[in-house]
Amino acid sequence: MSSIDASDERKVRKRVFNTSIEDKRLHWSRLHRFKTTHRLYIYLISSLAILQFIAIAFFARGFLLTRNVLDNVATDSPVEPKFDKCVILVIDALRFDFTIPVDPSDFGYNSNHHNNLEVFKNGHGTDHSSLLLKFIADPPTTTLQRLKGLTTGSLPTFIDAGSNFDGSVIDEDNFIKQLSLNNKTVYFAGDDTWDALFRPFLSPNSEPFESLNVWDLDTVDNGVMRYFENHLLNETAIPANWDVLIGHMLGIDHVGHKYGPDHFTMKEKQLQANRFIERICESIDDKTLLVVMGDHGMDHTGNHGGDSKSELEAALWLYSKRPNMWNHLSPDHYDTTSLGENHRRVNQIDLVSTLSLLLGLPISFNNLGWPIQEIAATAEELKLYHEVTLNQIKSYSDASGVITNFDKAEHLQDLWEKSINDISFAPEYQKYFLESCKDLWARFDYWSIVVGIFFLATSLVLLIIITKLVPSIVIGQMVSEFVPTIAIMTLVSNVCFNGIFHVLHQPVFFENWLWCTLFSTAVGISVGFFLTIFDRYTVAWIGRKFLEDLSDYWSRIAALFITLHAVLFTSNSFTIWEDRIVSFLLATLGMLTLYEFVFLPKRRLTTALLAAAMGEEKKSPQKKQPLDSESSPLGRFARLVGGYHSIVLITCTRLASMITICREEQGEFCTPTFTTANNYSYWGLMLCLTAVAFLPSCLKGYYNICSSYQAAAPIWISQFLRWVLLTNFVYWSICAMENNIPDLAWDLKVFKLTISRIVAGFSLIAANVGWMMGPLCVKLNIHNNDVKSQQATILGYANVYGSQFFLLVINFFMCIMLFNKPLAQISLFLMCNQLLSILEIVDLLKLKENLIGPVSLGLLAYQQFFSTGHQATIPAVQWDVGFVLTERITFPFTHLGIVMNTFGPHIIIALSVALLTLWKQPPTVLKPQTLLARVVSNCGMLLIYNTVLCLSSFVWVTHFRRHLMVWKIFCPRFMFASLSLIVLQVIITLVTIAFASGRLIRQINNLFWA
Amino acid sequence: MPVKTRRLPKKSVSFSDEETLTTRSRQMGDKKRNASHDGPPIYVKPTIKTVPLHLLALLYYYIKLSQDFDARTLLYMLIPLQLIYVALQFNANTIYGNKISKLRWSLLPISFAAALVLTVPCMLIIILLGAPISMLLKETWLLAAHCCILTLPAVYSIFKCNFKVGIFKKYFIAVAIGCWISCVVIPLDWDRDWQNWPTPLVVGAYLGAFVGYSIGPYV
Repeated sequence: MSSIDASDERKVRKRVFNTSIEDKRLHWSRLHRFKTTHRLYIYLISSLAILQFIAIAFFARGFLLTRNVLDNVATDSPVEPKFDKCVILVIDALRFDFTIPVDPSDFGYNSNHHNNLEVFKNGHGTDHSSLLLKFIADPPTTTLQRLKGLTTGSLPTFIDAGSNFDGSVIDEDNFIKQLSLNNKTVYFAGDDTWDALFRPFLSPNSEPFESLNVWDLDTVDNGVMRYFENHLLNETAIPANWDVLIGHMLGIDHVGHKYGPDHFTMKEKQLQANRFIERICESIDDKTLLVVMGDHGMDHTGNHGGDSKSELEAALWLYSKRPNMWNHLSPDHYDTTSLGENHRRVNQIDLVSTLSLLLGLPISFNNLGWPIQEIAATAEELKLYHEVTLNQIKSYSDASGVITNFDKAEHLQDLWEKSINDISFAPEYQKYFLESCKDLWARFDYWSIVVGIFFLATSLVLLIIITKLVPSIVIGQMVSEFVPTIAIMTLVSNVCFNGIFHVLHQPVFFENWLWCTLFSTAVGISVGFFLTIFDRYTVAWIGRKFLEDLSDYWSRIAALFITLHAVLFTSNSFTIWEDRIVSFLLATLGMLTLYEFVFLPKRRLTTALLAAAMGEEKKSPQKKQPLDSESSPLGRFARLVGGYHSIVLITCTRLASMITICREEQGEFCTPTFTTANNYSYWGLMLCLTAVAFLPSCLKGYYNICSSYQAAAPIWISQFLRWVLLTNFVYWSICAMENNIPDLAWDLKVFKLTISRIVAGFSLIAANVGWMMGPLCVKLNIHNNDVKSQQATILGYANVYGSQFFLLVINFFMCIMLFNKPLAQISLFLMCNQLLSILEIVDLLKLKENLIGPVSLGLLAYQQFFSTGHQATIPAVQWDVGFVLTERITFPFTHLGIVMNTFGPHIIIALSVALLTLWKQPPTVLKPQTLLARVVSNCGMLLIYNTVLCLSSFVWVTHFRRHLMVWKIFCPRFMFASLSLIVLQVIITLVTIAFASGRLIRQINNLFWA
Repeated sequence: MPVKTRRLPKKSVSFSDEETLTTRSRQMGDKKRNASHDGPPIYVKPTIKTVPLHLLALLYYYIKLSQDFDARTLLYMLIPLQLIYVALQFNANTIYGNKISKLRWSLLPISFAAALVLTVPCMLIIILLGAPISMLLKETWLLAAHCCILTLPAVYSIFKCNFKVGIFKKYFIAVAIGCWISCVVIPLDWDRDWQNWPTPLVVGAYLGAFVGYSIGPYV
């Protein structure tokens, strides 16, 4: 088809534009200038992208605490077991002061949560058969993290970088795993988090219960009690064939969440738990250990997750029927006055070593805790316990190599040598090691966080100034100043900072030269930009221009949308419902444009402003005559078309938003439609087929608005697109068949892989190479009715840029369709319509350079992200599409699939943002430089929008770093914001600006510019 | 924040579409596009008398007194009060052609019927903006009915003043903005009764209408 085009081009050039040699020279020199500017623009945008990447890297380094999980498992224990069996009862949110006797005259006494759990007084004073201790949790005080800590004896972080990290089975060595390795049968009932974490190690007779519904106070508790009734309390029913019985009750926690601790329901729940524990105490035998504990406390409102004192202080109670089991310290250690302020405390991570020693198990490999002193009956026993634990911690320290800091390592070695000689130094060794690990895993690196936020804010300011405030034409001239300044500044600051760091080792948080280089590069880029900008402009001018730019109606609407979207991250509820809110905003935008087209309020449009101001005085008497195409009010037909496009936009948005994979937190208010069953159902496939078959005609309709459906367009749309989509449909039908028919006779794997590779190869490589040939969508119409006229008409002249550019979008669209499931394909079909309608609306309202264009496209990207079956959570990532191209994980094909699936809408939008300028842009109106500058400006505005979102998520995730939901809601959202910004930057810089726009503008100008 | 207040009236969300019917019919009947400039002046007198105090009373009843936020009962109470408001307050202060327009009784049922007809496009708009499609349709209709009855004075005046939509548009917009803003409370996880569909939007519509009718004449 390229040959057809080439001949067309020649014809066009020959017949229509008879250029003289002089003109040609002018043209070539102009083209040369354009090439230089274009290259400089690429450098400019790339350096901004680098600045943002560095900002994200710093923030992620500071915020995402990581810990390497080792798979080593501890073996053999030299300790004799003291107990054969063990009953462990976890009472969620059992705060320490619930368990001790409180004097009613005490400040803070409340009869609803104090003095109800009388059982913990049993056997304390007289025969030392019980031991009550304050049990200090490590933040975050959320159940998942606490359970990991309680069973591994380690400090769980957000990313326990093992093989999987989404809250499913624990990889590392833990207490429960040790139980099952040592042939102990573990029965479990209660919170289903245990099931998720320890499924392989629990007996199949276990009964996990749904734990999410905070308003349900009784289901889990009753289930646990019934289970204990069957297996422990009621001996006659089933003979005890367990070694360890674990219960996890949620009632008290849920009362806290629902009513707070001061409510009378709390008293009922506590009395119920009290009776339950009493019965357990009665029914266990001499060789059974009873452990009752809270995993965390609760604050005065009944919530938890943070690091306040009342949230961290839980209770631990060890009980055995044998008298003098526990070697109590002097009574002043167990001081229960003033709500147990001065009571002896132990860490939650100490539990693993304690229980392991009591049951004669090896202490799990990753343990950092220290056995509780009271469990040792004699001094020799204590010494043995300390030696065992010391050896375990030392071997962990050696195997993990976590302590990289030289001073710390030396100090540790010192303590270790001392401890071998004198075991009384061992606790000091453990404390020091634990502190060092906490520094590494549990403390945010605030310096990195602040640096990340600061650089991102800087990049936002620069983006706003460069792409929005400074007129694009001036930027075109300034580009040649920017690039050298930035290069020099980066060099200078690199030399300075690296020198300082190398000599003085300051600032400390860099840790190594790599981060120092990144930091200094970012500083250099920022300084380079600001130097060039302040060379020409002042702060006052920038401020004035900023306000001025926000003075028109549509910019303000866009700013409002950006603000609203950014404000969502201030609350977990808004973040949860982001999918609905985004489509609400997009539909609102559609309504606003519809209103505009229907009523035509007397509002000066941005581009029309000047023209109208000039023309107003002269021509006011005859208002019906259009002044010129720019300033005239819309004709009736244009308004009709505009109204139609608005309705298309609204309807498609609403239809697409019906496809959703609900977040867990949305609960009963959301019914998931993007399920495997629906995706592979017959109606789903039929809808998908309809959409796929209908799409080429839709696109044809949009092309025909400017009669651009010529030459290359039919080839691309009704041949390439149609056949690729149909082949793709075959692929997904086979998937559906495999899914629906359980015992399929044929093995279709090879067939599937062949199809997917053909589609991917064609759409990503062949079609893009084809696009580089420059497929024009114009045609010479020689059937001219006008006899006198010697000129031929060029069909598709008005949209020569846009029609060609959109073919590139189609290439990527085909590839993205391959990696999306049938329902998501329907959503993407709707997206094409929304996208083109937005382009038409923006063109009709003459908002091509307004902020509203990129913002509406950005909103569309987010809306489509959600309606293609995604949510901003880690479990919602569609990992299975990674295996479309290959059978096993292969770089880069698996990654390509997941990126194309997750960020598909963002990629399409990152490409089409150039269309805001190019769609319906006839040639020979704007100079190539101006056109490129406008494309860059629109790309920049899209980046501004996403940078604001990313910055907002940075700030709020830092603010909520101790929030209950930070790891479930805010942190995944921040990760998504960062990743989408990175994807947008890469696509915009490399494909939209560097590859596509430059080539397209050059080619069209070669043809048409005379 | 002067910026914000100026922005809001223009951020007309949804009710624009309702008026297309009337606008189109006007355009077809009227050849002159700029008739409003040549025709007799229409405006609502800027006076304290148009402040719809009954809306506040209804809101007070709805939020404080009624136990179950029953939008249906509220609607039954709203209809007569709105009719009285049109007859005694709003119409009495509307000026069309240099004189205070007289009440035409026959127009009251007609405009009431028109308002009821408007509930259909209104409901469509609410659903397009994200209300559930198949569930809770009755509630959605009740919300639409509230919105349309709240704009009854404007509908009546449009009939009365020869379909001059221009100056009455703002009342529709006020109700729409009220609804639009009140959506903020829906996603919050406070688990209160009044967060149930469509209670917050009804309250928002009342507040929007109250503000609209109070300051409408001055804008």
